[in-house]
Amino acid sequence: MIVDSAPAFDVREYLRKEMMPHFLCPGCGHGIALRALLWALHELKVDKDKLAVVSGIGCAGRLSAYIDASTFHVTHGRPLAYATGLALARPDLRVVVISGDGDCLAIGGNHLIHACRRNLKITCLMLNNEVYGMTGGQVSPTTSEMRVTTTTPLGNSEPHFDACALAAAAGAGFVGREGTRHVPKLAELMLAGLEHPGFSFIEVLSDCTEIFGRKNEMGSSSEMILRQKSELRPEAYRDTVDTPFRANELPTGVLAKNARPEYGAAYRKAAAAIKAAAAKKGRK
Amino acid sequence: MNGRRATHSTAAPGPVPAAPAAKAREPMNVLIVGVGGQGVIMVSKALAWLAQSKGFEVKQSEVHGMAKRGGTVFSHVRFGPQVWSPTIAMGEADILIALEWAEGMRWLPYLRPESGVFLCDTKRIVPPFACLNRHPGAPMRYSRETPAEIREHVGEGYAIAATEIAEALGNERAANVVLLGALSTALDFPIADWEAAVAQFVPKKTLTVNLEAFRSGRDWIEQARLMTPVAEAPVEAQQPLTNAPGKVRLEITEEWCKSCDICVKLCPERCLRLNADRIVELADAETCTGCRLCEWLCPDFAIRVHFDEVALEGSRS
Ligand code: SF4
Ligand code: SF4
Ligand code: SF4
Repeated sequence: MIVDSAPAFDVREYLRKEMMPHFLCPGCGHGIALRALLWALHELKVDKDKLAVVSGIGCAGRLSAYIDASTFHVTHGRPLAYATGLALARPDLRVVVISGDGDCLAIGGNHLIHACRRNLKITCLMLNNEVYGMTGGQVSPTTSEMRVTTTTPLGNSEPHFDACALAAAAGAGFVGREGTRHVPKLAELMLAGLEHPGFSFIEVLSDCTEIFGRKNEMGSSSEMILRQKSELRPEAYRDTVDTPFRANELPTGVLAKNARPEYGAAYRKAAAAIKAAAAKKGRK
Repeated sequence: MNGRRATHSTAAPGPVPAAPAAKAREPMNVLIVGVGGQGVIMVSKALAWLAQSKGFEVKQSEVHGMAKRGGTVFSHVRFGPQVWSPTIAMGEADILIALEWAEGMRWLPYLRPESGVFLCDTKRIVPPFACLNRHPGAPMRYSRETPAEIREHVGEGYAIAATEIAEALGNERAANVVLLGALSTALDFPIADWEAAVAQFVPKKTLTVNLEAFRSGRDWIEQARLMTPVAEAPVEAQQPLTNAPGKVRLEITEEWCKSCDICVKLCPERCLRLNADRIVELADAETCTGCRLCEWLCPDFAIRVHFDEVALEGSRS
């Protein structure tokens, strides 16, 4: 269990301390998600020089800047596109993408579905706080129905996206979801995702207290964290009736997994075969 | 197989009493206890089904529904030529099977003094309310009796590491069937019928491992009967149930704290507070248990929990 390494895991060893304190608002769940990621990487004993973190635009996108590794802060919605190139060209690197709900599903939605389809070994974290926090709180593809944002002042009437269902349908090798409330569990899920040989998609339910929470009168950061407890239903309890969980919760845990061939390896194999065939022809 | 270690046997000294034969008129009373999710009900159903198939009248009553909360679960099975009451009175159980150690202790008074047969898994499931004091190293309010100590109270008693045996077979969940195998040595039904009862109540996929578990439990008791009892308790029961003790120290990076209050509000011991500058501080060092929740939930990485070895303290300061 990952908690066994808690005494040895000092998150500060993985941070660019000169960049701290980070720019996130007080109580922003993204900080907790970042800890979980670094904990999982610590557990995997990842060499910082062999770790590449690619992130897009938004509050979540800024996280890469605080990680003491090779990091890329790229254009809006495109971290998966950059990561795909990187992972194909440098299979020796461990490539992690940090993206937000807007970055990953709206601006970069197209990249996401094709990354899932290709199943290249990349670990993609989507930090879902249901809002565009950095730009002032506009509605995002995951904003729940009736939630208030700057662009939906009377409440959002669009149905929200289930990102995990989308990723699973598009063929991602590993799909999981967890909230920031239970840090060891979140870190364990990320660890499982990082260990998966193909594309892994992990949705982290994170709280934006300053913008989303404030507009929707959801209370302080600690109250928002406690709310997760009543709204998340572990996957193991999905079919149970008599549970302490309420009716409409999002399932958490590992939600989908498959063993489709990893694209990078398949691509290199095909390329080698073509090269060998060409060389043979040349010799004749 | 580690489950066969002789130290687990607490068979009564002297000649081993023969398995109690189904008494002429009085019903046979079997009490099965454990905690939610262990399979108490499955054991009692298998036994009831078997007794019924042999033409006995059977009455079974149970308390369950605590499955998801680790609560206590028990089932009374009575069978004989004629059975009136569905429950077993205190001191009248001929056989007590416990799937969890403390539950076994709890129900011991139900066992017939002198002649009762006690079959208990050494598996310990500590309920949350046994951890009133959450400091590392603090004692837990969990049953302290060792198998050696309870030997005087039972006619024939076995502390069997059924969960370990089942684990070794590859399926921890088969522990209840290990105990069913142990039970089978105390009642005279043919082994083939017992196995048919197992097959009736376990999922098809797990039949092989469950039949192995059944035989392991049966063999274990038969071997234990041949051995002389040993005085010391099983290793598991002697080990303290706590983490390594140490002195908790919180390292706070004040420049990183953003006064969000998460740690203050979510610390289970409520021992943190924001100081006059609205920076976190440890208000009550005595109550902090070092649970690390504050370290994990601080979005700004401002808290780090250390456990200092108590012995080293003097030399450091
Ligand atoms: S705006 Fe919201 S998501 Fe962005 S840093 Fe602030 S709290 Fe976090
Ligand atoms: S470690 Fe932190 S959360 Fe746990 S008791 Fe101590 S101060 Fe509270
Ligand atoms: S959780 Fe962290 S940032 Fe928030 S008050 Fe506590 S120490 Fe400060």
